Amino acid sequence: MSLSAYIPIVGLFALAAAFGLFSVAIAPFVGPRRFNRAKLDAYECGIEPTPQPIGGGRFPVKFYLTAMLFIIFDIEIIFLYPWAVSFDMLGLFGFVEMVLFIVAVFVAYTYVWRRGGLDWD
Amino acid sequence: MVDLLLWTLALPLVGAVIALVVPDAPGRIVSVVASVLTLVAVVPLGFDRPAGMWHELDIPWVPAFHLRLHLGVDGISYPLVVLTALLTVLCCAYSVWHTPAPGRGNVLGALLLVIEAGILGTFLAQDLVLFFIAFEVVLLPMAAVIAVWGGEGRRRAALKFALYTLAGSVLLLVGVVVVVVQADTADMVKLTESPTLPATTQLWVFALFALAFAIKSPLWPLHTWLPDAHTEAPTVGSVILAGVLLKMGTYGLIRVGIGVTPEGFAKAAPVLGVLAVAAIVVGSLVCLVQTELKRLIAYSSVGHMGFVLLGIATGSAVGLQAALIGNIAHGVLTGLLFFVAGAIKDRAHTGQLAELGGLRERAPWLAGILGVAALGSLGLPGLAGFWGEAFAVVAAYQRGGLLWTVLAIVAAVGAALTAAYLLRMLRRVSHGPVAPALAAAGEVRWPEAVAWAPLILLAFVLGVVPVLVVDLAAGAALISGALGR
Amino acid sequence: MPELKLPDIDYAALLPMLILFGAACVGVLIEGFVPRSVRNMVQLVLSLAAMVAALVFVIRRAGEVTAENAATIGGAIMIDNMGLFMEGALLVLGLVSLLLFGERTLERGGAFVPHAAVTVGSERDREQAVDSGATEVYPLALFSLGGMLMFVTANDLLTMFVALEVFSLPLYLMCALARRKRLLSQESALKYFLLGAYASAFFLFGVAMIYGFAKGVDFRAIHEAVRGSETSPTLLLIGLALVAIGLLFKIAAAPFHVWTPDVYQGAPTPVTAFMAACTKAAAFGALLRVLYVGFDGAKWHFTPVLGAVAVLTMLVGAVLAVTQTDLKRLLAYSSVANAGYLMVGLLGGNKDGLSSTLFYLVAYGFTVIAAFALVSLVRDADGEATHLSRWAGLGRRSPLFAGIFTFLLLAFAGIPLTSGFMAKFGVFGAAIAGDQTWLVIFGVLTSIVLAFPYLRVVVMMWLSEPGETTPSVSIPGVLTSAVLGIGTVATLLLGVLPGPLLELADQASSFIR
Repeated sequence: MSLSAYIPIVGLFALAAAFGLFSVAIAPFVGPRRFNRAKLDAYECGIEPTPQPIGGGRFPVKFYLTAMLFIIFDIEIIFLYPWAVSFDMLGLFGFVEMVLFIVAVFVAYTYVWRRGGLDWD
Repeated sequence: MVDLLLWTLALPLVGAVIALVVPDAPGRIVSVVASVLTLVAVVPLGFDRPAGMWHELDIPWVPAFHLRLHLGVDGISYPLVVLTALLTVLCCAYSVWHTPAPGRGNVLGALLLVIEAGILGTFLAQDLVLFFIAFEVVLLPMAAVIAVWGGEGRRRAALKFALYTLAGSVLLLVGVVVVVVQADTADMVKLTESPTLPATTQLWVFALFALAFAIKSPLWPLHTWLPDAHTEAPTVGSVILAGVLLKMGTYGLIRVGIGVTPEGFAKAAPVLGVLAVAAIVVGSLVCLVQTELKRLIAYSSVGHMGFVLLGIATGSAVGLQAALIGNIAHGVLTGLLFFVAGAIKDRAHTGQLAELGGLRERAPWLAGILGVAALGSLGLPGLAGFWGEAFAVVAAYQRGGLLWTVLAIVAAVGAALTAAYLLRMLRRVSHGPVAPALAAAGEVRWPEAVAWAPLILLAFVLGVVPVLVVDLAAGAALISGALGR
Repeated sequence: MPELKLPDIDYAALLPMLILFGAACVGVLIEGFVPRSVRNMVQLVLSLAAMVAALVFVIRRAGEVTAENAATIGGAIMIDNMGLFMEGALLVLGLVSLLLFGERTLERGGAFVPHAAVTVGSERDREQAVDSGATEVYPLALFSLGGMLMFVTANDLLTMFVALEVFSLPLYLMCALARRKRLLSQESALKYFLLGAYASAFFLFGVAMIYGFAKGVDFRAIHEAVRGSETSPTLLLIGLALVAIGLLFKIAAAPFHVWTPDVYQGAPTPVTAFMAACTKAAAFGALLRVLYVGFDGAKWHFTPVLGAVAVLTMLVGAVLAVTQTDLKRLLAYSSVANAGYLMVGLLGGNKDGLSSTLFYLVAYGFTVIAAFALVSLVRDADGEATHLSRWAGLGRRSPLFAGIFTFLLLAFAGIPLTSGFMAKFGVFGAAIAGDQTWLVIFGVLTSIVLAFPYLRVVVMMWLSEPGETTPSVSIPGVLTSAVLGIGTVATLLLGVLPGPLLELADQASSFIR
């Protein structure tokens, strides 16, 4: 195999690096100068780093809940992909099995729905 | 006749259950009745005496563990079985009349019956696993008797007793399991007739057995649970403890130690002999400085069991028969001693020798019985104790060799020391000016007389006609045969 | 495209597991749709019915096992005699402990709290303290039991890992649901989760190592690789050690036992009973299969090491039990020591070792469930009174319950005429027959040490005077009475007539590779 097949990749790498460097380098010269205190703050995903809030700065747990529920159903979808691709090879057995899998996750979905896990507040 | 063996175990257990559920006063009567019935069931076991095991009963129980309900009685166990039943009757009768605080004599009677069932099971068992189960069943009811009805330091004494004896039991368990696994049977009769274990296994299995039975007997230096347990136990508890429980150790040594592992015993015999004589001497010396009555009698048990163990250690027919007679004699005499000591303590509210004195002026009969018991205990010829002590020394001397001759001489000296401390105790308690504590002491009351009469009778009878027990101990010849001595 | 070759699945053999999983799913649906007032009763009835049905199918299968029809799902699950016995034992013990879950008369709303993750001390926490308890515990318990059934019949290490996670995760959650002492409960759940996650990670890493050694993860491949391999056993030993760590964690063997006292103390008492009996049984079932079926060729390697672990376990359990002042922690350390005794039986290495371990698991399971049921009865206004000093004088107040507890403690101590004695006798005999006498010596020595705290509790109950703070024993409801009765009768029966169960265990002690 020849290494010449990798040249487009090197080219892409060089282009990407150049673009990034160019953007950062030219910003101070081309951009307007408007002073804003907030722009000079350290960025912490929206949280004020200091002063430390009393009680440790609690997050509402609903963010975690949404994220975890997303993960579960996302994984369900991921399992659906290979089944969908080789559906005809798996025949009836595969179909029934996948229906059972979806039903099982659906039971969990019903529970979450009825228990108010899908309500934001 | 075969079913009789089952009755001897079932009667005490059923009696215990009934005594527990009925109220106090009728419960005490129930326990007396049950113990009398057990005695009635036990005595006929000795009527028919073929060679070998006199009666046998063999029912499978848990085949996977080689555990069978295999009971049997012969010349070695019969006297002990009768002694157990007799002492239990006397103790139950005594507690009808007088149960110490906190009362509940029916529970005390029930516990005594359970202990009796366990001890009878130990003496009658011909299956190693059954022997172990019965051995262990005795432990907790006895600890409960000490812990509930005992004296000042009863909780500590009961806990010490329980843990010490439990330690011995688990060593016994290891030995039993090793034998059962290696010999593929737990039948003690078969194991005695044809020991199949290799010599080295026998040695260390015997060591385990000896440790367990030494704790029970007790053999110096594993005796330290005894003084506290005896001193703190109530009167009936001490009687059963000294009279019968200690015999489980020596009986186990003979039946299981010698019977199942004879070669191990043969190798370890000199060690046992030395420890036995040490027990005699140390027990006597400690007794000489004792200041409390019950504790003195407790330590005297250590000394007396030393004589019994010396007899066993010689491994000769004479020695074994001396041991067996000594067992019975000790049971009778020390049982009587504890009864009398309990009576004195109840009257004087103290057991300190310094605070007692002049009993023969206030209560001559009581002093007289104390005297008989003490004289029997020190081995006066004509009373029961003589045969055990004298022939243990004779057997040791007959064994020959430097070690055994020395042991015999030292044991004889120990016998003299025994006389010394018992006479000292007698002088302190019954002679001299009347102590203030005994000023109001009453004479022997008729319930006490009834309870003690059989023991006094046996003390005299066995002293004059030891043939009763000696003849029964022909079974000892069976075991000596195994030793080829 | 070529047709896929499907594995043959023996549904009849798998029915117990399928019933439990199906009932659990129905339980989750019930959670969503059934009104709250009847939910507890419906869930309880459904769970008990499912377990009984599963047990019926296990018993029906029992006579039909042969070498050919045992493996199913392409060899991933092996329903052999041993597997069936363990399934049956787990179902019976699970049934008895599930009765404890349903008890609602001791405390208003039951032993569980509706929401596990509410901040302790907050307004919402105060509100939920008087609400009717979580009924999700029933489907969680069913999932856990189903996972345990899979765990003991798994025929390859990956299925075993999946089953390990399936049965552990519901347990982590159930530990957080205690109604009283919320902080302790949440702490125990978190500890269990974190330590359990580490142990599962070790297990999986070990599986990877073994795959590297044996080129396969099913037990037959491992067995052949161990037998016939000429390569150095480094990878095998590392893999075996890591897998063993994962399993030893679950059986609470030292030095992986550290979670046990905290988790047993903090979890709601019915869940503790469930864990003490069923988790131990399931973990031992799996350990037996791993060591006897997969790695029996490496016996010379693992027996001394596991023997040392067993000795350490017995010592740690016994010595630390002496110092405990809380009854639930005392029972936890006793559970650790019993894991040591079970390992002694396991290391006997022969058929006796197997059958004695099986008998011990069942006998111990009944005794420990009854013990925890009794612990849940001794209460005051603040909930369960588990400090030892509160139990002083209980014998005067309630002689019947004190008597039952005394009997159960004697069973733990191994006094004859209780199931504990027969169990210990069996494992010690098996160990001696397997040339592991040194284990038996340590076993009996630690028995003596362990007897002391039990006797101390007995003495305290009967001989101390009850003080003003001595709580009373609540009158148990029907369910707790049933559990107490079953447990005590089983302990007595197995102590006096162990024959039938011993025979059953003996018949069951055969693996099919």
